[in-house]
Amino acid sequence: MDFGLSEPQRMLQQTTAQFLTETAPLERVRQIMDSKEGYDAELLTQLGDQGLLGLLVDEEHGGFGLGLLDTIVAAQTLGAHSTPVNFHDQAVFAPLLLASIGGPLAEEWLPKVASGAARVSVADGALEATDAGLRALYVPDALHADAFLVVRGDEVFFVASENAVTEPLETVDDTRRLGDATFGNLGSPLEISTQQVQRARQAAQIALAADALGASRQGLDIAVDYAMQREQFGRIIGSYQGLKHVCAEVVAELDPVQSLVWFAAFSWDEQSPDVPWLAPLTKAHATEVGSYAVTQTTQVFGGIGFTWECDMHLFYKRVGFDRQLLGNPAELRRLAADLQHPAGGS
Amino acid sequence: MRSFLDAKKDVAISAAVGAKDPAAVAAWQKELVDSGWVGRTIPKEYGGYGADPDLLAAIVIEEEFAEAGVSLGMANQGISMLIPTLLQYASEEQKQSFIGPTLAAETIWCQGYSEPGSGSDLASLQTRGVLDGDEYVINGQKIWTSTAHEADMMFGLIRTEMDAGKHGGITYILLSMDTPGIEVRPLKTMTGESSFNEVFFTDVRVPRSNVVGVPGQGWEIATYLLRHERAMLGRTTQTETFLASCVDILRETGLLDDPLYRDRLMKVQGRTIAMKYHGLRLLTDTLKKRPSGVSGLITKLNGCQLNYDVCELAIDALNERGILKAGSRRVRDGGAWQGNYMYALGLIIGGGTAQIQKNIISEVGLGMPREPKVPNAAPQGGTA
Repeated sequence: MDFGLSEPQRMLQQTTAQFLTETAPLERVRQIMDSKEGYDAELLTQLGDQGLLGLLVDEEHGGFGLGLLDTIVAAQTLGAHSTPVNFHDQAVFAPLLLASIGGPLAEEWLPKVASGAARVSVADGALEATDAGLRALYVPDALHADAFLVVRGDEVFFVASENAVTEPLETVDDTRRLGDATFGNLGSPLEISTQQVQRARQAAQIALAADALGASRQGLDIAVDYAMQREQFGRIIGSYQGLKHVCAEVVAELDPVQSLVWFAAFSWDEQSPDVPWLAPLTKAHATEVGSYAVTQTTQVFGGIGFTWECDMHLFYKRVGFDRQLLGNPAELRRLAADLQHPAGGS
Repeated sequence: MRSFLDAKKDVAISAAVGAKDPAAVAAWQKELVDSGWVGRTIPKEYGGYGADPDLLAAIVIEEEFAEAGVSLGMANQGISMLIPTLLQYASEEQKQSFIGPTLAAETIWCQGYSEPGSGSDLASLQTRGVLDGDEYVINGQKIWTSTAHEADMMFGLIRTEMDAGKHGGITYILLSMDTPGIEVRPLKTMTGESSFNEVFFTDVRVPRSNVVGVPGQGWEIATYLLRHERAMLGRTTQTETFLASCVDILRETGLLDDPLYRDRLMKVQGRTIAMKYHGLRLLTDTLKKRPSGVSGLITKLNGCQLNYDVCELAIDALNERGILKAGSRRVRDGGAWQGNYMYALGLIIGGGTAQIQKNIISEVGLGMPREPKVPNAAPQGGTA
């Protein structure tokens, strides 16, 4: 019986938090956020050097060959630091697809993904046919990708960036950008099974759930800190039950999400047959609780919470981004229900 | 353990069904104690099994019995609360007199803590015991006293030290329920049942030797279990059972195919899984003697509310039929859904209301300050 993090996982959590505090403090996060590009290739390399992008990549391709549970420990910490990186994509979805595809493609790209030398984006959202070719919508870091893995139904294609035309999108979370990418020629589909694609997507969903948990928990922590300093009517506002109960309700909802996220990642590592419904349900629950949490904790700051200067909006937007990508809560619950209770079962 | 359960299933069930037959209940209780399934860690000299404390073993026993549908005997406050307290604080003579019969279910106990004026603020209790020779003369009233109508004894908190302040004036006293001057009145709850009572004391005389510990130590003794009890583990066994039955109802009513009901079902399912693994995480922390921080404080608040919400979903799925109560024609599951729905609400309130829980979570878990005391509040407790 050991349900919790191992010593090495706790170490990873601590060293990652310390690394991010030193390397990507909120001042740097804000610089990247305020820039036109909203992307920092140097930060990606630094994350790679720290080993964070290669956790799931096997050792022969320059990674560490660890599991998803180890990886989401990092994902949650990145969420808590609002680090400008699409970690679920670069460090989870893309390397898992590449590893399943194998062959020369994996030989060439996995080491670059693990080191942060290359950005490989997965186009797993809506697709539309245009005169110029197939357009993939809402692709993470589309403008900065060196290559794309395009998912079309059961098929996956690899397209180098020189064969893609990209257009930026303006998204609310300025720390993680999306864009559209149009491909004139997809080439031939790669050797990968439907199950492998789904498994990679499920891992990315669990990583987004962990990211949302990290961000919303950090939002609570800074809100409680603020409530312990701000005084009104001659008292610390954190001593008013009206405010304490809000914080208690938020932590009561958030804390069990930690166990759910760990369990989902553990189940993925163990290849449990429950993962196809557990992963989407975990993301639905974590991001919905996360939205509730940041909605409440932003209000703890009063008017300050509505300002650009207050850090709270970074976490608020982070959760919003995690919530919409790779399936919103209602859609993911429908997917989970369809797998658990197939329609017509009545 | 499984072979024991297989072999004894019939005996156990007849003991549970024939709960009115004290001989059968007592025989089953003896069987459980002798085999070490109940009172496992209680020393042999007091009638227990004398095993070393092992939380995991305790949980395995509980789960195996629950799975087999076999009663773990008399689960009452005498065994769960009083015996551990006596082992820690009672005199040798008290241990010898009370632990054995309690464990054997020969003595049934009720807990006399809450009073009409002392709920969340328990330490303000006013039931008084005044020393007269070698006896305390007790006057006052207790409320929410489960099983008082069938109890032989009460372990209660009585204010005896009038000048020792709010907490310091409370004494932990054991008293026989057939002492003259004690009147038990059943309290009918919103479910229509009477699981609680009011207990009135009029010049009730209790020997001084029935004090546990020393006079004025009552608050420390009463909160000992709260401080040392295994962390609230927040088991979700009952919620999972409710949820499975709820899915059956959704399937039978055709609502399992309805998108709105599917969405509600998956919402409570997500919460249930989260709480299930939250419980395992707390168990791990307890076994490894790691502090669980805020995690241990939220289980009551979340667990009761989750049960409530699952019942609500089942009642909605039953539509008008969900209004029917036990005894009605056409009622589903004997009216258990409405019964459990209201019972869950009772549990949200009992043992520390949701609002008190939120105070504890924010103060102990998040380190937020207490509300300042109102400067001109009426004096409380012993200084009144």
